[in-house]
Amino acid sequence: MSVEEASINFDPAQSQVQSLLADTGGDAIEATDETVLAALEEVQSEGEPDLIVELIDLYLNDAPQRVEAIRAAAAKLDGALLKHAAHTLKGSSGSIGVLQVAKICKILERPDCVSSAAKVEVLLQLLEREFAGAREALLAERQRRVS
Amino acid sequence: MRVLIAEDDAVSRRILETLLLRWGYEVVTTSDGKKAWGVLEEDGAPHLAVLDVMMPDLDGLEICRRVRKLSRTIPPYIILLTAKHGAQEIVNGIEAGADDYLTKPYDHDELRVRVQVGARIVELQIKLAARVAELEVALEHVKQLQGILPICSYCKKIRDDQDYWQTVESYVSARSEAEFSHGICPTCYETTVKAQIAAYRAEQPGILR
Repeated sequence: MSVEEASINFDPAQSQVQSLLADTGGDAIEATDETVLAALEEVQSEGEPDLIVELIDLYLNDAPQRVEAIRAAAAKLDGALLKHAAHTLKGSSGSIGVLQVAKICKILERPDCVSSAAKVEVLLQLLEREFAGAREALLAERQRRVS
Repeated sequence: MRVLIAEDDAVSRRILETLLLRWGYEVVTTSDGKKAWGVLEEDGAPHLAVLDVMMPDLDGLEICRRVRKLSRTIPPYIILLTAKHGAQEIVNGIEAGADDYLTKPYDHDELRVRVQVGARIVELQIKLAARVAELEVALEHVKQLQGILPICSYCKKIRDDQDYWQTVESYVSARSEAEFSHGICPTCYETTVKAQIAAYRAEQPGILR
Protein backbone atom coordinates (compact mmCIF):
# COMPACT_ATOMS: atom_id res chain seq x y z
CA MET A 1 0.00 0.00 0.00
CA SER A 2 1.46 3.30 -1.03
CA VAL A 3 1.23 6.41 1.10
CA GLU A 4 -1.18 7.95 -1.38
CA GLU A 5 -3.43 4.84 -1.49
CA ALA A 6 -3.59 4.63 2.26
CA SER A 7 -4.47 8.28 2.56
CA ILE A 8 -7.52 7.79 0.32
CA ASN A 9 -8.93 5.23 2.77
CA PHE A 10 -8.93 7.64 5.70
CA ASP A 11 -12.15 8.84 7.22
CA PRO A 12 -12.82 12.59 7.46
CA ALA A 13 -11.73 12.64 11.11
CA GLN A 14 -8.24 11.83 9.90
CA SER A 15 -8.02 14.89 7.71
CA GLN A 16 -4.93 15.98 9.58
CA VAL A 17 -3.08 13.16 7.87
CA GLN A 18 -4.38 14.33 4.49
CA SER A 19 -3.17 17.83 5.13
CA LEU A 20 0.15 16.48 6.30
CA LEU A 21 0.44 14.53 3.09
CA ALA A 22 -0.15 17.74 1.21
CA ASP A 23 2.41 19.56 3.29
CA THR A 24 5.11 16.94 3.15
CA GLY A 25 7.00 15.47 0.29
CA GLY A 26 9.35 18.41 0.00
CA ASP A 27 13.00 18.29 -0.75
CA ALA A 28 15.87 18.35 1.73
CA ILE A 29 15.71 22.12 2.28
CA GLU A 30 12.07 21.95 3.42
CA ALA A 31 12.78 19.04 5.72
CA THR A 32 14.08 21.46 8.33
CA ASP A 33 12.87 24.89 9.37
CA GLU A 34 15.71 27.33 8.89
CA THR A 35 14.15 29.89 11.21
CA VAL A 36 14.49 27.48 14.13
CA LEU A 37 18.15 26.87 13.32
CA ALA A 38 18.63 30.65 12.93
CA ALA A 39 17.18 31.20 16.42
CA LEU A 40 19.57 28.58 17.78
CA GLU A 41 22.41 30.33 15.98
CA GLU A 42 21.77 33.37 18.19
CA VAL A 43 22.28 31.26 21.28
CA GLN A 44 25.76 30.29 20.14
CA SER A 45 28.47 31.75 22.38
CA GLU A 46 31.70 32.99 20.87
CA GLY A 47 34.65 30.68 21.26
CA GLU A 48 32.44 27.72 22.15
CA PRO A 49 32.07 24.60 19.96
CA ASP A 50 29.36 24.94 17.30
CA LEU A 51 26.08 24.40 19.16
CA ILE A 52 24.10 23.48 16.06
CA VAL A 53 26.59 20.76 15.12
CA GLU A 54 26.30 19.42 18.67
CA LEU A 55 22.50 19.49 18.52
CA ILE A 56 22.45 17.78 15.11
CA ASP A 57 24.68 15.03 16.49
CA LEU A 58 22.47 14.65 19.56
CA TYR A 59 19.34 14.50 17.43
CA LEU A 60 20.68 12.07 14.83
CA ASN A 61 22.00 9.84 17.58
CA ASP A 62 18.72 9.79 19.50
CA ALA A 63 15.94 10.10 16.92
CA PRO A 64 16.44 6.74 15.10
CA GLN A 65 15.93 4.97 18.43
CA ARG A 66 12.76 6.96 18.97
CA VAL A 67 11.47 6.11 15.50
CA GLU A 68 12.20 2.47 16.22
CA ALA A 69 10.40 2.74 19.57
CA ILE A 70 7.37 4.24 17.81
CA ARG A 71 7.31 1.41 15.29
CA ALA A 72 7.63 -1.19 18.07
CA ALA A 73 4.82 0.43 20.09
CA ALA A 74 2.61 0.61 17.00
CA ALA A 75 3.24 -3.08 16.22
CA LYS A 76 2.06 -3.96 19.72
CA LEU A 77 -0.80 -1.44 19.50
CA ASP A 78 0.46 -0.09 22.82
CA GLY A 79 -1.13 3.36 23.05
CA ALA A 80 0.76 4.52 26.13
CA LEU A 81 4.14 3.52 24.75
CA LEU A 82 3.32 5.01 21.36
CA LYS A 83 2.26 8.26 22.98
CA HIS A 84 5.44 8.56 25.01
CA ALA A 85 7.80 7.69 22.16
CA ALA A 86 5.99 10.03 19.76
CA HIS A 87 5.88 12.80 22.34
CA THR A 88 9.62 12.66 22.94
CA LEU A 89 10.47 12.64 19.24
CA LYS A 90 8.03 15.50 18.72
CA GLY A 91 9.87 17.57 21.33
CA SER A 92 13.37 17.02 19.98
CA SER A 93 12.24 17.42 16.36
CA GLY A 94 10.46 20.68 17.11
CA SER A 95 13.47 21.98 19.03
CA ILE A 96 15.82 21.51 16.10
CA GLY A 97 13.40 22.61 13.38
CA VAL A 98 12.40 19.23 11.97
CA LEU A 99 8.82 20.35 11.97
CA GLN A 100 7.25 17.81 9.62
CA VAL A 101 8.45 14.96 11.81
CA ALA A 102 7.13 16.85 14.82
CA LYS A 103 3.73 17.23 13.13
CA ILE A 104 3.47 13.52 12.36
CA CYS A 105 4.44 12.70 15.95
CA LYS A 106 1.73 15.04 17.19
CA ILE A 107 -0.87 12.92 15.39
CA LEU A 108 0.77 9.68 16.52
CA GLU A 109 0.58 10.65 20.18
CA ARG A 110 -3.18 11.21 20.05
CA PRO A 111 -5.04 8.61 22.16
CA ASP A 112 -7.31 7.55 19.28
CA CYS A 113 -4.46 7.03 16.83
CA VAL A 114 -3.68 3.49 17.84
CA SER A 115 -7.26 2.41 17.08
CA SER A 116 -6.59 2.47 13.32
CA ALA A 117 -3.76 0.19 12.21
CA ALA A 118 -3.96 1.53 8.65
CA LYS A 119 -3.65 5.10 9.82
CA VAL A 120 -0.69 4.27 12.04
CA GLU A 121 1.03 2.48 9.17
CA VAL A 122 0.64 5.48 6.87
CA LEU A 123 1.89 7.77 9.56
CA LEU A 124 4.88 5.52 10.18
CA GLN A 125 5.74 5.50 6.49
CA LEU A 126 5.39 9.25 6.40
CA LEU A 127 7.48 9.58 9.53
CA GLU A 128 10.29 7.47 8.14
CA ARG A 129 10.23 9.33 4.83
CA GLU A 130 10.27 12.73 6.52
CA PHE A 131 12.94 11.67 8.97
CA ALA A 132 15.14 10.42 6.14
CA GLY A 133 14.77 13.79 4.41
CA ALA A 134 15.48 15.68 7.61
CA ARG A 135 18.51 13.51 8.29
CA GLU A 136 19.96 14.37 4.89
CA ALA A 137 19.30 18.05 5.41
CA LEU A 138 20.82 18.05 8.87
CA LEU A 139 23.90 16.13 7.70
CA ALA A 140 24.34 18.63 4.88
CA GLU A 141 24.06 21.50 7.36
CA ARG A 142 26.55 19.78 9.62
CA GLN A 143 28.99 19.27 6.75
CA ARG A 144 28.66 22.93 5.77
CA ARG A 145 29.48 24.02 9.30
CA VAL A 146 32.47 21.81 9.97
CA SER A 147 34.13 22.32 6.58
CA MET B 1 21.45 31.66 40.96
CA ARG B 2 21.26 27.92 40.31
CA VAL B 3 18.53 26.53 38.08
CA LEU B 4 17.51 22.88 37.83
CA ILE B 5 16.58 21.56 34.39
CA ALA B 6 14.61 18.33 34.10
CA GLU B 7 14.12 17.26 30.49
CA ASP B 8 14.30 13.74 29.08
CA ASP B 9 14.93 14.84 25.50
CA ALA B 10 18.67 15.41 24.99
CA VAL B 11 18.28 18.10 22.29
CA SER B 12 15.79 20.17 24.27
CA ARG B 13 17.88 19.74 27.42
CA ARG B 14 21.05 20.98 25.73
CA ILE B 15 19.24 24.01 24.28
CA LEU B 16 17.79 24.88 27.68
CA GLU B 17 21.16 24.48 29.34
CA THR B 18 22.87 26.68 26.75
CA LEU B 19 20.22 29.40 27.10
CA LEU B 20 20.34 29.51 30.89
CA LEU B 21 24.14 29.52 30.99
CA ARG B 22 24.16 32.37 28.51
CA TRP B 23 21.77 34.33 30.71
CA GLY B 24 24.15 33.97 33.65
CA TYR B 25 22.58 31.17 35.65
CA GLU B 26 24.32 28.16 37.11
CA VAL B 27 22.67 25.05 35.74
CA VAL B 28 22.01 21.60 37.18
CA THR B 29 20.70 19.23 34.50
CA THR B 30 18.74 16.01 34.96
CA SER B 31 17.34 13.65 32.33
CA ASP B 32 14.33 12.22 34.15
CA GLY B 33 11.81 12.95 36.89
CA LYS B 34 13.36 10.71 39.54
CA LYS B 35 16.73 12.41 39.28
CA ALA B 36 15.07 15.83 39.36
CA TRP B 37 13.18 14.93 42.53
CA GLY B 38 16.42 13.62 44.03
CA VAL B 39 17.99 17.05 43.51
CA LEU B 40 14.98 19.03 44.72
CA GLU B 41 14.49 17.12 47.96
CA GLU B 42 18.09 17.69 49.07
CA ASP B 43 19.06 20.53 51.37
CA GLY B 44 20.62 23.31 49.33
CA ALA B 45 18.56 22.45 46.24
CA PRO B 46 18.32 25.08 43.48
CA HIS B 47 15.63 27.69 44.13
CA LEU B 48 14.54 27.72 40.49
CA ALA B 49 13.47 24.75 38.40
CA VAL B 50 12.41 24.34 34.77
CA LEU B 51 10.65 20.98 34.47
CA ASP B 52 9.33 19.10 31.49
CA VAL B 53 5.86 17.70 32.20
CA MET B 54 6.08 14.37 30.39
CA MET B 55 9.06 12.43 31.69
CA PRO B 56 9.57 8.73 32.37
CA ASP B 57 9.11 7.39 35.92
CA LEU B 58 8.04 10.66 37.52
CA ASP B 59 6.34 13.46 35.62
CA GLY B 60 6.64 17.19 36.22
CA LEU B 61 3.24 17.45 37.88
CA GLU B 62 4.09 14.80 40.50
CA ILE B 63 7.41 16.53 41.21
CA CYS B 64 5.48 19.78 41.84
CA ARG B 65 3.13 18.02 44.27
CA ARG B 66 6.02 16.46 46.18
CA VAL B 67 7.97 19.70 46.33
CA ARG B 68 5.00 21.58 47.77
CA LYS B 69 4.79 19.05 50.61
CA LEU B 70 8.32 19.93 51.70
CA SER B 71 8.48 22.54 54.42
CA ARG B 72 11.06 24.87 52.97
CA THR B 73 11.76 28.41 54.12
CA ILE B 74 12.33 29.30 50.49
CA PRO B 75 10.16 27.06 48.30
CA PRO B 76 11.53 26.57 44.77
CA TYR B 77 10.00 28.54 41.91
CA ILE B 78 8.90 26.00 39.31
CA ILE B 79 8.30 26.64 35.63
CA LEU B 80 6.66 23.78 33.76
CA LEU B 81 7.69 23.40 30.15
CA THR B 82 5.56 21.21 27.95
CA ALA B 83 4.16 20.58 24.52
CA LYS B 84 0.69 20.24 26.03
CA HIS B 85 -1.53 23.16 25.12
CA GLY B 86 -4.89 24.17 26.50
CA ALA B 87 -6.37 25.93 29.50
CA GLN B 88 -7.02 22.71 31.41
CA GLU B 89 -3.38 21.68 31.09
CA ILE B 90 -2.32 25.02 32.56
CA VAL B 91 -4.84 24.64 35.39
CA ASN B 92 -3.55 21.14 36.12
CA GLY B 93 0.03 22.37 36.20
CA ILE B 94 -0.61 25.34 38.48
CA GLU B 95 -2.84 23.27 40.78
CA ALA B 96 -0.09 20.67 41.08
CA GLY B 97 2.15 23.42 42.46
CA ALA B 98 3.87 25.02 39.49
CA ASP B 99 4.43 28.78 39.59
CA ASP B 100 4.45 29.26 35.83
CA TYR B 101 3.76 27.32 32.65
CA LEU B 102 5.27 27.65 29.19
CA THR B 103 4.33 25.64 26.12
CA LYS B 104 6.74 24.25 23.53
CA PRO B 105 7.93 25.42 21.12
CA TYR B 106 8.76 28.40 23.28
CA ASP B 107 10.24 31.74 22.34
CA HIS B 108 13.70 32.13 23.87
CA ASP B 109 13.03 35.69 25.02
CA GLU B 110 9.75 34.66 26.63
CA LEU B 111 11.52 31.95 28.59
CA ARG B 112 14.25 34.43 29.58
CA VAL B 113 11.81 36.94 31.09
CA ARG B 114 9.79 34.26 32.83
CA VAL B 115 12.94 32.85 34.42
CA GLN B 116 13.81 36.43 35.41
CA VAL B 117 10.46 36.75 37.18
CA GLY B 118 11.20 33.53 39.03
CA ALA B 119 14.67 34.73 40.02
CA ARG B 120 13.20 38.03 41.25
CA ILE B 121 10.64 36.26 43.41
CA VAL B 122 13.26 33.88 44.81
CA GLU B 123 15.55 36.81 45.65
CA LEU B 124 12.65 38.53 47.39
CA GLN B 125 11.94 35.37 49.38
CA ILE B 126 15.60 35.08 50.37
CA LYS B 127 15.58 38.71 51.61
CA LEU B 128 12.32 38.18 53.47
CA ALA B 129 13.63 34.98 55.07
CA ALA B 130 16.77 36.82 56.24
CA ARG B 131 14.63 39.64 57.65
CA VAL B 132 12.36 37.18 59.44
CA ALA B 133 15.42 35.47 60.94
CA GLU B 134 16.69 38.85 62.22
CA LEU B 135 13.30 39.64 63.71
CA GLU B 136 13.12 36.24 65.37
CA VAL B 137 16.47 36.89 67.06
CA ALA B 138 15.26 40.32 68.19
CA LEU B 139 12.01 38.81 69.39
CA GLU B 140 13.97 36.29 71.43
CA HIS B 141 15.61 39.19 73.31
CA VAL B 142 12.27 40.83 73.87
CA LYS B 143 10.82 37.62 75.22
CA GLN B 144 13.58 37.37 77.80
CA LEU B 145 12.48 40.68 79.30
CA GLN B 146 8.85 39.76 79.37
CA GLY B 147 6.90 38.44 82.33
CA ILE B 148 6.91 39.30 86.05
CA LEU B 149 10.33 40.26 87.37
CA PRO B 150 10.88 39.73 91.12
CA ILE B 151 12.60 42.92 92.28
CA CYS B 152 13.81 43.84 95.78
CA SER B 153 11.68 46.66 97.21
CA TYR B 154 14.70 48.21 98.88
CA CYS B 155 17.86 47.73 96.79
CA LYS B 156 15.98 47.17 93.49
CA LYS B 157 18.01 44.07 92.59
CA ILE B 158 16.23 41.54 90.37
CA ARG B 159 16.11 37.82 91.05
CA ASP B 160 16.99 35.75 87.98
CA ASP B 161 15.90 32.20 87.03
CA GLN B 162 18.86 30.74 88.98
CA ASP B 163 17.77 32.58 92.16
CA TYR B 164 20.68 35.04 92.00
CA TRP B 165 19.97 38.65 92.81
CA GLN B 166 21.41 40.93 90.16
CA THR B 167 21.55 44.66 89.80
CA VAL B 168 19.08 46.07 87.30
CA GLU B 169 21.97 47.01 85.02
CA SER B 170 23.50 43.53 84.81
CA TYR B 171 20.10 41.84 84.53
CA VAL B 172 18.93 44.00 81.65
CA SER B 173 22.34 44.05 79.93
CA ALA B 174 22.45 40.24 79.86
CA ARG B 175 19.07 40.02 78.21
CA SER B 176 19.01 42.82 75.70
CA GLU B 177 21.14 44.99 73.48
CA ALA B 178 20.75 47.86 76.00
CA GLU B 179 23.83 49.51 77.52
CA PHE B 180 23.90 51.77 80.57
CA SER B 181 25.57 55.10 81.18
CA HIS B 182 25.36 56.29 84.77
CA GLY B 183 24.17 59.73 85.85
CA ILE B 184 22.16 61.40 88.63
CA CYS B 185 18.56 62.44 88.20
CA PRO B 186 17.44 65.86 89.59
CA THR B 187 15.34 64.29 92.36
CA CYS B 188 18.20 62.13 93.65
CA TYR B 189 20.53 65.10 93.36
CA GLU B 190 18.24 67.13 95.58
CA THR B 191 17.36 64.41 98.07
CA THR B 192 20.61 62.46 98.32
CA VAL B 193 23.61 63.98 96.59
CA LYS B 194 23.25 67.49 98.03
CA ALA B 195 23.07 66.09 101.56
CA GLN B 196 26.13 63.90 100.94
CA ILE B 197 28.12 66.83 99.57
CA ALA B 198 27.19 68.90 102.63
CA ALA B 199 28.30 66.09 104.91
CA TYR B 200 31.66 65.72 103.08
CA ARG B 201 32.21 69.46 103.28
CA ALA B 202 31.59 69.40 106.97
CA GLU B 203 33.98 66.49 107.46
CA GLN B 204 36.68 67.59 104.98
CA PRO B 205 36.62 71.36 104.62
CA GLY B 206 38.49 72.39 101.45
CA ILE B 207 38.09 69.12 99.48
CA LEU B 208 34.68 69.93 98.01
CA ARG B 209 33.82 73.49 97.17
